[in-house]
Amino acid sequence: MSKMTQRKSLEYIKKDYKRTRTLPGSWYLASYKFKFNITHMKPFLEKLKEKKLIANQCSSCNRVFFPPRLVCGKCFVKPDKWVDIRDTASVSTYAISYLKDPETGEVQQRPMVLVHHDGADTTSIAELAPDVNVKDTYVGMPIKVHWRDERTGGIMDIEYYDKVDDDSDDLRYKK
Amino acid sequence: MGRQVAIASAGFSEHASKRSDVSMPELVSEAIEDCLKNAPSVELGDIDAFVNGNMPAFEGANIPELWMTDWMGARNKPLLRVTTGGTTGGSVAIAGYYNVTAGLPGVDTVLAVAFEQQSQGDTSVGLASVAYGEISILNTLGVSYDQLSRLLSAGAAIGVAAYQATTYMNKTKTHEEDLARVVVQNRRNAAKTWWAHLKMPNLTIEDVLDTPYVQYPLRYGMVCPASDGACAMLFTTEEKAKDMCDIPVYVNGVASVANETAVLGYDGSGSAQVDPSMQLGAIRSAELAYSQAGISFPRKEIDYAEVYAPFPNQELMWTEKLGLFEEATAPEMYKAGVTAVNGELPVNCSGGVNSTNAIGASAMERPAEAALQIMGKASNQVPKTVHTSIGSGWGGSLNLITLMAMSDQPQRKWR
Ligand SMILES: [Zn+2]
Repeated sequence: MSKMTQRKSLEYIKKDYKRTRTLPGSWYLASYKFKFNITHMKPFLEKLKEKKLIANQCSSCNRVFFPPRLVCGKCFVKPDKWVDIRDTASVSTYAISYLKDPETGEVQQRPMVLVHHDGADTTSIAELAPDVNVKDTYVGMPIKVHWRDERTGGIMDIEYYDKVDDDSDDLRYKK
Repeated sequence: MGRQVAIASAGFSEHASKRSDVSMPELVSEAIEDCLKNAPSVELGDIDAFVNGNMPAFEGANIPELWMTDWMGARNKPLLRVTTGGTTGGSVAIAGYYNVTAGLPGVDTVLAVAFEQQSQGDTSVGLASVAYGEISILNTLGVSYDQLSRLLSAGAAIGVAAYQATTYMNKTKTHEEDLARVVVQNRRNAAKTWWAHLKMPNLTIEDVLDTPYVQYPLRYGMVCPASDGACAMLFTTEEKAKDMCDIPVYVNGVASVANETAVLGYDGSGSAQVDPSMQLGAIRSAELAYSQAGISFPRKEIDYAEVYAPFPNQELMWTEKLGLFEEATAPEMYKAGVTAVNGELPVNCSGGVNSTNAIGASAMERPAEAALQIMGKASNQVPKTVHTSIGSGWGGSLNLITLMAMSDQPQRKWR
């Protein structure tokens, strides 16, 4: 992708400004303490250990939130129903990131995707399997959860998403 | 209902990647000077109240309005600060409108100023201050910092735009050339605007497509710059505006609408929008502002539009969502020259956010430029007479839309 012919920047009409005085300073963000509620995540995280996916549902508008959500933005109520959802999903949208390997300095192309789980009404940000070719990624691509071998009850128990083959049984069961 | 509000003047500072010659207050006073120059009968003493705003944390300075009071001429006068992230400028302008329309005793003329001096601060710290709470939540939920940095490389503003671009291009069957065409139009327009940042009078589509990808499908040449700059707008009553300028611009509709949290979500809960290019907030804000302004057929009645679009795909997306074009037809309109300076519906003749992005000021520069086009005082003035124009803003937690509809005729319906 990074061809030698490609220009790094475009020229534009610039104007020079005389420099005024500057004083250095820093702002240390890690010194802040943020409070947040993750009680709604607990049942979901527990089930991840058993390779099961659950989402919560708003009983007012019936939307299914995956990952679980604390409040429904549409109805302003707490989603209180838990539903099981399948481990298959589709790519809602994607972007390709160009990340430099810190050791080799080689630029890697990695697709970053928004995953839309079958049976859910929301999307979440995730990575695809390293062996998925960037050029093969498309909107609506069927994918499936790839579980981590040792699961600890964290979001990263879903290591990444595998591409589902065209002749896979998963596609037959879908819908 | 409230009083009819008019814009008597608007002004800009010069924009550049590093305005190293001025401090933040000096930059602001530059825009105010230009604003008052456009309305020669107005003096600082005639201004009754002030509204001020910029992105918090981007310059590493809290409550900057207090140490620039003298530079604004706001001593011993009511002063209000509004800040809503990317839409700050739009919200500051709307706050200026509310101040006048409320009809408070002794408050007739309000000066609204929005600014940003990005070279003074650290944009990544600024963005981190917005996202840090969210990041720490994901971290406690088991996402390692290593993986977070990879995911967040797609989660910052460019990542959101890249997601929107992918679905938009997929839906409308748009190509990269269509995106590059928008960039070329904007940067060439910027070359004719005295205050714009990226002035590229000879840019071609090939030049843009020759730059590497920052994040597919967006290339380096398509991305907005980081600018230093400020913008000021003068709001006043219908009666006073007639004395202050030749052609007062009446504000007939304002809206600021947020959709549910997007992309990262809150408490690690993902996005409510399955399709990031759906933009329900934009559709709703257009409905609200147009109904207030009595605009029934936006495509026919609006003569000029300034759309907040740091990335070219957003300009295509929002011209459709704001009702200026039919769904999925914007790329064709750009190709046919409808949106050019001499076209039927000129869009972003100032070069837009794509050419100049002083974050806090950007969303105010849209209505300011749209107002100047009605007055006939814009730098890159369109040849036709502009009666009705709009200026939009995008930002907040990536899904807040501000919109201001202006006209050379007051909207009597409201009184
Ligand atoms: Zn609901």
